[in-house]
Amino acid sequence: MRIRIWKHCLLGFALTLLLCVPALADQTLMMATTTSTDDTGLLPVLAEALKKDTGLELKWVAVGTGKALEHGKNCDVDVLLVHAPAAEKKFVEDGYGVNRTEVMYNDFVLVGPAADPAKIKGKTADAALAAIAAAKAPFVSRGDDSGTHKMEQALWKGANLPLPDKESWYVSAGQGMLATLNMAGERKGYTLVDRGTYITYDDQAKGKPALVVLVEGDKPLLNQYSVIPVNAEKCSKAKFEAAETFRKWLASEKGQKVVGDFTVKGKKLFTPNAAK
Amino acid sequence: MNYLVDGLRQALLLLAQGDAATFSAVWTTLAVTFEAMAATLVCGVPAGFFLGYATFPGKRAARLLVETFLSFPTVVIGLVVYAFLSRRGPLGEWGLLFTVPGMAVGLTILGLPIVIALTAQAVENLDPRLRPTLLTLGAKPRHVFWATLSEARFGILLATTAAFGRIVSEIGISMMLGGNIKWDTRTITTAIALETGKGEFATGIALGLVLMGIAFLVNLAAAVCRRRQAA
Amino acid sequence: MSALYELSDIVQRYDGREVLCLPQLSIAAGSIVGLAGPNGGGKSTLLRLLAFLEFPVAGEVRYRGQATRGREFALRGEVTCFPQEPYLLKRSVRANVGYGLALRGATDIRERVDAALAQVGLDPARFAGRSWRQLSGGEVKRVALAARLALRPAVLLLDEPTANLDRDSAELVRRAVLSAREAHGATLVISGHDQPWLRAICDDILWLADGRLAGPAANPGPSGAVSDNTTFAGNSGRQS
Repeated sequence: MRIRIWKHCLLGFALTLLLCVPALADQTLMMATTTSTDDTGLLPVLAEALKKDTGLELKWVAVGTGKALEHGKNCDVDVLLVHAPAAEKKFVEDGYGVNRTEVMYNDFVLVGPAADPAKIKGKTADAALAAIAAAKAPFVSRGDDSGTHKMEQALWKGANLPLPDKESWYVSAGQGMLATLNMAGERKGYTLVDRGTYITYDDQAKGKPALVVLVEGDKPLLNQYSVIPVNAEKCSKAKFEAAETFRKWLASEKGQKVVGDFTVKGKKLFTPNAAK
Repeated sequence: MNYLVDGLRQALLLLAQGDAATFSAVWTTLAVTFEAMAATLVCGVPAGFFLGYATFPGKRAARLLVETFLSFPTVVIGLVVYAFLSRRGPLGEWGLLFTVPGMAVGLTILGLPIVIALTAQAVENLDPRLRPTLLTLGAKPRHVFWATLSEARFGILLATTAAFGRIVSEIGISMMLGGNIKWDTRTITTAIALETGKGEFATGIALGLVLMGIAFLVNLAAAVCRRRQAA
Repeated sequence: MSALYELSDIVQRYDGREVLCLPQLSIAAGSIVGLAGPNGGGKSTLLRLLAFLEFPVAGEVRYRGQATRGREFALRGEVTCFPQEPYLLKRSVRANVGYGLALRGATDIRERVDAALAQVGLDPARFAGRSWRQLSGGEVKRVALAARLALRPAVLLLDEPTANLDRDSAELVRRAVLSAREAHGATLVISGHDQPWLRAICDDILWLADGRLAGPAANPGPSGAVSDNTTFAGNSGRQS
């Protein structure tokens, strides 16, 4: 009886190993991207269109921007799709990535309670942040070195305000975008959010969101996405050709159309802006 | 609060409708756990046996080391293993990052101290009359080994259950080494992390209930085994 | 008469304390030797030495005329010891009694197990399937004895086999142990406090106190006295 159990276990084990051997397709492209990009829902749509047009299989890990760049430096992935231009440029300068190509942008918005205690509605980003600081209104930050977080920090700097890290009204959440939104909602505070996540949040709240859009459209709030293939010279195992195929496809008419046609809850999210 | 009830309803729906993503996560969880458990037992039981049975200089230090590792934070394990498995790392050639076997490596390291410490304890607590009894009945060294293991089987089963519980519910290592890639390395726990991060609390609860269901079935099987062994 | 065991200049120590000192002792094949003496006198130690479960700090044990160092695993295949407080494996009674037989690759395990259980007065139909948890103290002792009897050992060493047994069970043990000698000529060494019981079954009785053999036991058995310097047990009254 005991021997039979062992045999079954070994068989099961062997079977599992077989089934879990990673798909050894040469046509698999590994991408590191950010959680907010993943949350928009664009990626599965892109992946499907990419597969149809080029046969490439796209797989991705969604982590914070910092981590995505680390994965690129460590050669864990073949290509990056992120939205932190300053960090990206350094990444390329340091030789980790090549052929950085801007492909699309979406925007960030400042959201807060409908009552708007700090009266930021309709202001520019700079003025809005100044008003929040002056009123000491609660503000929730991603606090996780993500693209959103970096954007937020750039905004404070752009408004010539000191980073309110130590202020009592400033909360560093250290979490993903939706969690941060929920926290801001609970505290009746303000936060910076990408439009895509906000649309999802708004939809989830079924018409009664705790936070509404108060500031939008201002230039510093634009969120530029770029594709960066990992440098084949630093990473010998990187699938450079496949990464290039993906990059060119995304910048081409076909890819740009997919981006432009993508909607979340009926609302357009991205503006394709690859250079012609 | 309603997401608890919603969660329960969703759990049943997901399972009844055969939601592909959920079943994929279930399968991945089972595969990762099975591999990690197999490696943990194959390496851990003999090591624990040796630690409990043999006398050697530094035995107490070894025991202390193993017990300290019981408190090793999972995120640190994940980081250390990542450093090894990353392309830049020494084992990068093996291409284990973002794969199920890669996750299993990290989870094995998590489970080993549990199995080693508890097996050593079980073996140490064996009746000192066992060895002379086996010898006088004519047992050769390999017979003594297997019979001693058999006598310690209840403690070893406990070690297995404890390690299983730890491994199946783990998130940090799975996330770090697996990457939470849909269809590939998304386990129930990483899926829960994802859903709750997206604010989908009900789905998170639903998946949590599915996981508890699996854990219950496994432990039920273990309990049946234990009952039959004791007879 | 051939000597099965020949012990010379045996010294045994535990933690530096001398527990056994035997200049010379021989045990004849096929004999039944009793070991009497006060508690702590060294009886159990001597039995363990004879069972090759322990090795003396000094001196030599010869078995069937050959040195025994390094051969203990093989020798334990025909010499078995029944300790004062026997231990049962966490298995059924049948598995316990059959363990040694399974090790030896016997094919008639079931019959021998049933026979051994019957010999110690435990009905196989009722007891064979029981788990080790479901036995009384006396039953544990008898199952352990059955496990040894089933092996048909050349030498059976028993350490106080009738301690804590009622009179009927003690009688059963006596008969079972004697039949071992009858059936396949086993040599028996039995230690105990119950002098009448020992006298009734042993050819000779050795008196062990403070780790040393005294002269013949207070009331020597029907076989006669043993000489002073060399203690040769079991020879008296036998044809060569």
